Order: sequence, then C-alpha cells, then structure tokens
Amino acid sequence: MSYEMIALLMFSTMMLMLMTGQRVFGAIGFVGVAAAMLLWGTGGSDIGFSAAMKLMKWYPLLTLPMFIFMGYVLSESKIADDLYRMFHVWMGPVRGGLAIGTIGLMVLISAMNGLSVAGMAIGATIALPELLRRGYDKIMVTGVIQAGSSLGILVPPSVVLVLYAMIARQPVGQLWLAGVMPGLMMAGLFIVYIVVRCWLQPHLGPALPVEERQVPLAEKLRLLRAGILPLAIFAAMMVPFVNGWTSLVESSAIGAMTAFLAAVFKRRMTREVFETSVRQTLAISCMFMWIILAALGFGAVFDGLGAVRAIDSLFTQQLGLDPWVILILMQLSFILMGTFLDDTAMLVIVAPLYVPLVQALGFDLIWYGVLYTITTQIAYMTPPFGYNLFLMRAMAPPEITLRDIYRSIIPFAFVMVLALALVMAFPQIALWLPNLVYSK
Amino acid sequence: MPEFVLRYIRVVEAINRRVGRFAMYLIFVLVGILLWSSISKTFLLPSLWTLEMAQFAMVAYYILGGPYSIQLDANVRMDLVYGSWSPRTKAWVDAFSVLFLIYFLGVLLYGGIASTTYSLEYGERSPTAWRPYLWPIKIVMCFGIVLMILQATAEFFKDICRIRGVSF
Repeated sequence: MSYEMIALLMFSTMMLMLMTGQRVFGAIGFVGVAAAMLLWGTGGSDIGFSAAMKLMKWYPLLTLPMFIFMGYVLSESKIADDLYRMFHVWMGPVRGGLAIGTIGLMVLISAMNGLSVAGMAIGATIALPELLRRGYDKIMVTGVIQAGSSLGILVPPSVVLVLYAMIARQPVGQLWLAGVMPGLMMAGLFIVYIVVRCWLQPHLGPALPVEERQVPLAEKLRLLRAGILPLAIFAAMMVPFVNGWTSLVESSAIGAMTAFLAAVFKRRMTREVFETSVRQTLAISCMFMWIILAALGFGAVFDGLGAVRAIDSLFTQQLGLDPWVILILMQLSFILMGTFLDDTAMLVIVAPLYVPLVQALGFDLIWYGVLYTITTQIAYMTPPFGYNLFLMRAMAPPEITLRDIYRSIIPFAFVMVLALALVMAFPQIALWLPNLVYSK
Repeated sequence: MPEFVLRYIRVVEAINRRVGRFAMYLIFVLVGILLWSSISKTFLLPSLWTLEMAQFAMVAYYILGGPYSIQLDANVRMDLVYGSWSPRTKAWVDAFSVLFLIYFLGVLLYGGIASTTYSLEYGERSPTAWRPYLWPIKIVMCFGIVLMILQATAEFFKDICRIRGVSF
C-alpha cells in the first residue's frame, strides 16, 4: 500500500469514528497507535507513551490549566459584573452604544484569559438580558457576544496560540504580541459595523432613554474604577514577563493567583464557586491534554509517512501554484473544515499538516500563527459545529432560538474574513509589535 | 445483569472519583511551584527543581484526572450524527466504539510499562541540572492509564446495562 493510501485511510477511519460519537481523543489516539502497529509492528507500540513524555517536556503547555482556571474564576465568581455596568453607563447614550460597550467589555475580558468561555459566560448571562430589555435586536446582540468573546483566543493570553506554538515550534511570547494589534483591529471593525448598522437601522440598537442617562458624574467616575481590575490582572501577568523577570509560564501562574485573590477579596469566592471552578478546570484541562496527547502520537505517525512532503510537492511542483494562491486555498479549506469538524480536534490536526507547508513556502510562522488563530475564530462560530455556538445555545435565554444564533453570526463572520484578508495583505499589522519589543 | 458487574461499576467509579478529586487540587500545587519559581528567580537564587517539578505535577494532574473527566462527560464528541440518535442506539454504538478506546489505552500502557522498566533498570535521569530520576513519574503515569482502562471498561458495562435496561 502506498503512503498516500495509508494517510487517506487514517483520515477516513478517524472521520468515521468521530461521526459515530467516539470521544475525540479516543478517535485520534486509536488511529495513531493502530497505524503505528500496522506499519512498524511492536516497534511502533511506544509511540503513544513517548507522545505523553513529549507533552510533559513541553514547558509552555503549563499555561493551559492556568488560563483555564483563570477563566473559570472570572466567569463563576462574577467579579467582572462591575465592568459591564461601567460600559453600560458610559456608552448607553449612543445609538448601538450598549453593543459597542459589550465589545469593549469582551476586549478587557480577553486580556484576562485565553479562551472564549469566560467572555461567552459573562456576555450571555449579564450583557444579553440587559441589552434585550433595552430593546436591542436579539440577532444583533447574540452576534455581538459571540464575535466579541471569540477575541479571547486572539488577544493575549491566548490558549490557541500556545497550542500553535507547540506545533510550529515558535516562541509563544512573540506570537502573543503578534496577536495584540490584529485583535484590537478586529474589535475596531466590529464597532464600525455596529455603528454603521445602527445608524442605518436605529431600531436595532436604540440609545438609552433620557431618565436612564441621568447618572451623576461622580457615580460615572466611580464606575470607572471597575476597569482597574482587568488592567491590574493584565499588568501583574505581562509586566514581569515583558521585562524578562519571569517566564511565560510563571506569569500565567501569577495571573491565576491574582484572579483568585481578587475573587477572595471581593467576597465572591464562595464554596460553590470554588468547587465549580476547580472541577471545571480539571475537566477542561483533561479534555485538552488527552486530545493533545493523542494528536502528538497521530502526528508522529504522519511525519513518519512523509505525507507533508508529498502534499507540498503536489501543490508547488506538479500543479505549479503560486505560494500566495496556496496560502489562500489553505485558509479557505480551513474555514470549510471548520464548519463541519470539531474545533479542538481541527486545531491539533490541521496545524501539523499546514505549518510545515507554510514554512516550506517561505512564509513567516509568527504571522501565520495570527492567520491561523483568526481562521479558528471563524471556525468557532460557523454552524453547524462551533464551540461558541454550543456555549451560546447552552447559556442564552429560551427566546433565542438556534436559528437566531445561526443567523446572528453571518455579518460578523464576514467582518472576520475582512480582518483575515487585511492581516494577510499587510503582515505588518501582526509583526510590528513583536519586532518592536524583541529588537531592543 | 450479574451482581459482580454492577459492583465492579460502583467500585471503579468510586475509586476514580476519589483519585480525580485528589488530582483536582493539584492545580494549587502547580500554582504554588510556579509562584515559588518566580519569587526565587527575582529575589533569591533561581531554584533548579521548579521547572521539572511543575511538569511532573501537570502530568499527574491530567493523567490521574482523566477517568474523572470521563465520569463528568467532559470529553467532547462530534454530535452532528450521534446527537440525533436515541439513547438505546447511542448505547449500542458506544459499546463497540469504547473497545477502540480500550485498545488505544492498552497500547499506551504497553509502551508505558516498557519505558518504566527501562527507567528502573538503568536508573534513567532527566538530562538537566537537577537530574531527577524519571521512574516515579512514569509509575504515576502507568497507574493513571490503568485507572483510565478500568473506567473505560466500566463505561462498556454501563452501555450493556443501558441496552438491557438495567439501572446501575
């Protein structure tokens, strides 16, 4: 059997197992070790365990449980509630202002954790009911929260970029800095979209009524203090890291501790909150770790087959395509796969395939990391499979149907594709900040 | 259903729940090690042992916590097709597909035992300044994988119970 055939067989077996509801790590792991045993006999039997050892020695992976813990502490203890009130009062008088404020809220939450879960939970439980009560269009609101919370994986700290860094063997610090400007740019584009849309159709996002606007200035200024918390947590993590006092992993532990202490001092760390956040951290960390473990074994077999070189030569030599055309095709196929594949699985399967190809084509891997993350963001939101879609369905009030959720993401997905195109056309958007910091 | 099968499910779930609840708190050990690492690096002499100790704690965290995460049903599945099936169909398919999971875990354990015996025989140490022995963490990993296999077999029996309409 030719190597291409084996590769194809591995993929189709995996797809079949995923479709029949096998746990994702079980499907990837089984195909990996079974292929290794078939190809190399008992010599291939230690591929699974050596993947576990490889995972252990990969230092930045320690940030994963830290950021998951931080995210759960923030969302469960609801210490970010004041933040919403701050945006509510300050942005409310503008047309569509509460939606713009929600995007701002999401950016701040994104700067405190590395997944979209926390932003989603805070958005769906606090912002969503408030905005609906003020007569905002439900499709608009749902879209804003989903798009906004997806910034969590682009704005540092980002768990997706940690995973990417592991596969692409690139420094996490530079990747994170590269995500800052594109993340802010994307938030800016969302805001532009909201402003234009609400200017054309004022009923989508009415300004707050006059009686609600009359908040005394002292109260307004007092609410600004809510913004101190995210800045403090962000600074506690990033200042020692950027100055080189601590490593990335140590900074993530400082961040987790700061968030935990903030919850304790605000008297929000009840027994129940503690139990849920610690248990959910274990559950989600285990899910990620076992998938990564399985995917490392799978990837090792795939590398052994030389499948990447075969694909590379197919595109560049046999089809004679321009590197840029290949890159665009890759992103398009990535988005397509993202619509029907499980996101976490896709993350760890697609990257080992695409990253070596991108490198062979001569592109910058830090820059590609940002493209990769934006594409993952789009995949997170596109039906029928989407991490954010599922979370939204679980958290949103019953009057929001699945149809509403699906419809709501369409305009925001286009805005994200626009952001992707901009970062592709102007790599400096991503690379300016890491170059500035690391060329000192 | 024979009584010993039901007892097996109960005992395995109870053990894995306890071990998982223990592993759950390792997150604080992890935070503690890393904080000590940053403190000692900034104000005192950098510690040699923190990096690897943190890695060992992380491995114990997710390997020992694995079976409990299966109990919590935290492991994602693709539910495009699977989600629309009846509970009975799901149980039938799961009863077969869990065997593939057991095979994967079995190969994992096989490699793990080979690697652990090697570490014990030759006193393998990590090639770093601290040079810790590697066998203790490998034994923890093998133990965790065994618990994972026990949990997977319990899942298999639970599926059989569901098919036969026996409560467990």
